[in-house]
Formats: sequence, C-alpha cells, structure tokens
Amino acid sequence: MNHKEPFKKYFQKNYDLYLLLLPGLAFVFIFNILPMYGILLAFKDYDMFAGSSPLSAIGASDWVGFKYFIRVMAREEFRAAFGNTMIISLYKIVFLFPLPILFAILLNEVKSTRFQKSLQLVVYMPHFLSWAVVAGIFVSLLSTTGVVNSALAAMGLDKVKFLMDSNVFRKVIIFSDGWKEIGWSSIIYFAAIAGLDQECYEAALVDGASRFQKIWYITIPGLMPTIVLMLILRVGGIMDAGFSQIFAMYNPTVYDVADIIGTYIYRTSLGKLDFSTGTAVGLFNSVIALMLVLGSNAFAKKATGKSIW
Amino acid sequence: MKKKKISVFMIINFTILITLGLVTLLPVLHVFSKALSGEGPVIAGKVIFWPVQFQLGTVLYVLSQPEFKNSFGVSVFVTIVGTLIAMLLTVTTAYPLSKPTLRGRKPILYIFVFVMLFSAGMVPNYILYRSLNLTNTIWALVFSGAFSVYNMFLVKNFFEALPETIEEAARIDGASNMTILFRIVLPMSMPVLATVCLFYGVSYWNNYFSGVLYITKASLKPLQQYLYDLIKNALSTVDAEGVVDIDTAMNLTGEAVRSATILVSTVPILILYPFLQRYFVKGITVGSVKG
Repeated sequence: MNHKEPFKKYFQKNYDLYLLLLPGLAFVFIFNILPMYGILLAFKDYDMFAGSSPLSAIGASDWVGFKYFIRVMAREEFRAAFGNTMIISLYKIVFLFPLPILFAILLNEVKSTRFQKSLQLVVYMPHFLSWAVVAGIFVSLLSTTGVVNSALAAMGLDKVKFLMDSNVFRKVIIFSDGWKEIGWSSIIYFAAIAGLDQECYEAALVDGASRFQKIWYITIPGLMPTIVLMLILRVGGIMDAGFSQIFAMYNPTVYDVADIIGTYIYRTSLGKLDFSTGTAVGLFNSVIALMLVLGSNAFAKKATGKSIW
Repeated sequence: MKKKKISVFMIINFTILITLGLVTLLPVLHVFSKALSGEGPVIAGKVIFWPVQFQLGTVLYVLSQPEFKNSFGVSVFVTIVGTLIAMLLTVTTAYPLSKPTLRGRKPILYIFVFVMLFSAGMVPNYILYRSLNLTNTIWALVFSGAFSVYNMFLVKNFFEALPETIEEAARIDGASNMTILFRIVLPMSMPVLATVCLFYGVSYWNNYFSGVLYITKASLKPLQQYLYDLIKNALSTVDAEGVVDIDTAMNLTGEAVRSATILVSTVPILILYPFLQRYFVKGITVGSVKG
C-alpha cells in the first residue's frame, strides 16, 4: 500500500472479509482464549461449586499465590513425571529420529517405482490408526498370553511381561511409536530427495562414483537442511512425550517409568479432583513448551533460513 | 567385481525394506486373523497370521452389540458434522488472512499463532466445557476438534500461492470478495481442501481422549473410546498374576471380541486409505514448511 485510504472507506469496501473472519475468531475466543481465564485457578483454592458455574467459581475462590506450585514441585510423583517426559522424549529422538531418514535413503535406492509405491502404502498405514487401536494391537501381541510370549516360550525362553514390567515398558513405548510413525515421518525426506539436483548424480556417475559415494556425498548433504530443521523442531516439541500413546498404553504397574506430565495432570485433576494442582502443572508445562517451540523456531530460522511459520 | 558389489547391496537393502514392511503389516494381520478365527484356536493360541477355522461370528457379535452400534453412530456423526464445521471455519478464516492487504492482518495472525502454541491446559478446558454444559453432549466431541490453526495455515499458504491475475480479472469484472472465494479460489484449491478435509476426518474418527475427558454417558461414547475402555479392562486383567483358569478363559474370549472390535473400527479407514493416501502425502509436502 503506497497511499493509505482511510480505514472507514477500506472497511466499507471489504467488510465481507471481516465478516468471514468472525466465526473463526469467535470460535478461538470461546474455546482457546476463554479457558485462559481458568489458569487463575492454579493460584486459588478452587471450589468448583462456589459459583453458579465452574468457571464463575474461579472468581469466588480464595487467592493462595504459588502454594500449589510449591507443593507440587516437592512431590516425588511430579518430579518422576517430569523426568519421564524428558527421558521418553529423548529416547524417542535418539532412536526414532534417524530411522525415517535411513528408510527414505534406502527406499530411494530401489529402482522399481512399483515396489516403492507399494511399500510406502504399507508403512504409512499405521499413522492412520488411532492410539486406542494401536494400544489394542500391542496388548494383543505382548500380553503374557500373546503371540510374542508364546513364541518366546516355544523357544524355551522366559516369558516377558512387556506391559507390566518397568524395565521393558519404555522399550514398548519407543517401539510402538516407531511402528506407527516411522513411515509417515519419512515423507518429508522423500520430498527432499526428489527435489535434489539430478545433474549431480549424473556427474557423479560419469566420474565413476559408487553407490555409497553418491549417498554419502550427494544425498545426505542434500538432505542436511531438512534434517537439521526437523531435528530442531523435534527438540522444540520435547515436552510432549506422546500423551495419547502413553495414556492408552500405560497402567499402574509402570507409572514409575511411564507417567508423564500429561498423564499426571489427568490423574491429579480428573482422578483426585485436585484441579488447582492440575492447572498449575499444566501451566508449568505450557510455558516451557511455548518457550521451547519459540526458541527452536527462531534457531531453525537462523540455522536453515526455514521455519514453520 | 563392481556389479557383484551392487547386487549384494540390493539384497541387503531389499531384506531390510521387506522386513520393515512385514513388521508393519504382521501385527495388524495377527489381530485381524484373531477376529476372524474360531474361538477354540484363539484360546489355544493357534492363530498367528492367518485365520484358523474362519468364521464371522465374532465380528457379527460385535456388530450386534447395542453399545457398539451406538458408539459407531456417535463416531460417524461427529466425524461428518465435525469435519463440515471445521472446514467452514478453516476456509473462512484462511481466505481473509491470505490477503496481504487486509488491514489488521498482523495482530489477527498473532492471535492465531499464539493460540496454536500456547494452550490453557487440560483442566481449564474441562472447566470451560462444564460451564458451557457441553460435557456429556455430542457437541463436546464436535467442538474439541473443530478448528486446527495448523490446518488453517496450510490452507492460507495455499491461497497465497495462487496466481493473483485471475482474481484481479474477476475483480475488474465487478466480482465481490465472496464471489471470488466461492467461484474462483475454492475450485482452484481442491487439492489442499481435500487434504485438510481428510486430516480433520481422520483426527475426528481416531480421537479417543476427548471422549475420556468429556463423556461419561455410555450412549455418547465415540467408537475409539469404546475400544479404549475395552483395552483398559484388558490391561488391568490380562497380565495380572495368579488368575484362576476360568478368568483366563474369559479374558481370552474377550481377546477375540477385542480383536473383532479393532477390526471393525479400523476397516472404514483401511478401505478409504489407499485411495486417499496421495492427498495426505501432498498435505505434508505442500505448504507445511515456509521458506
């Protein structure tokens, strides 16, 4: 805009654009902004029935400052949940982040597009199953009467209580997440490989480069910007260790290794009806998550010139 | 010499890739096989990757359960109505925001980005839904997924990349913003709309946690919550030490029923998936990362 027309005139001409924005803004106001008022109950002794509705009861409850924050920080359970969130996220990054890249590179080496397409169709599929379904599948496979334990028994090995043993449950979490998402996560790398300059490969062929040299000197460097971007963004999302997954798969026998912040919030607030503590932990979580996402996005912009918004 | 080296690589490569394919497919095949096998073989642990004593009895039994029928209906309703509302909200928000000349665009964009990155949390949302008397209504399930800022940005980025000249021409012919949106922009945006529509549809169909959080009434539980309840029951009993024999047998019958429930709640997606896969893939590669 080089010369600005007065807003009134602009509005008269384009009022329909603002009209279009109205439903979206109203929705976001009611369902995203309004609940933020509820954050106050982290600083109050909340009595849900103190007002005409649970929301107005917040106003009627007494201020207690940081009481709930201080109390929960000292709780062993909360510290364990925070630690588990970090550990599970880190394990997922270390063990699962490289696999889609490897998969994309290996599948790209296959000449037959028919094979490529069919395998992609198969490995993308679990992404579209809900965690309730995937939990059901893994319970079926891994319970003491399940097929994996039957196979172990047939080989003369001891049965493993995969879903109830604190020593193995995290491995089940990592594996099932990989099973569900490795294929889907590889899409972005396939796209990146397809976008690489084909002349490089032709030149390498003329120079007599081997397959491994081509992968090592062309494909991987070409993928690097995408890898760096995805890794930074993945680290930014570290506060989410996979809530829907763990909520569907965990059980009291493995709380010590699998309870994460989200599941802890659910149990304290909707289980024990300690809503103030649940809100306090949620706020703690949201603030750290926000800072991490903003930080990682800024870092990604600096490092690769790309970002998610 | 060189040729041989390549073929060795290819053998290893195919082995790895086919293994990955099998690891993905076999667990699903195992559960489906259990759903379609006779009860005897399931209890004896004889069903591995193919139905033994093939029968549809268990599946028909699941389909005839009133709770199941109810939950299936809830999920169908929520998925269809939710996706429609979500698409409407997404498109109507994305279009004005795709206009770089829109006054006040920046602050409005910031509101949406903020809402995308910062959530009040599980408890404040629950308190709000209770205050609006939405808990234990089907609308709790509809509203909890009715707007994804991420999807909105996907659509907005696509709109921004459309050639401006067509719009300009229509404007000169006297077309209003609304006419341009519905007659020109939307028809040109079918790929991204299909993608986003599918994203919403799948996330509605697969969401079990909104049900857990907001719904306690059995008749309003969506299918995935119904399944979640079944699995939670299984988790609390199947592995417990020292179960009496009859309990084990009961659980294993439960195993067949659970498998059949998984089968019937997954089949709608699995039938549609091969036809729709390319739209999903497009969605992740088009406009998701900003250069």
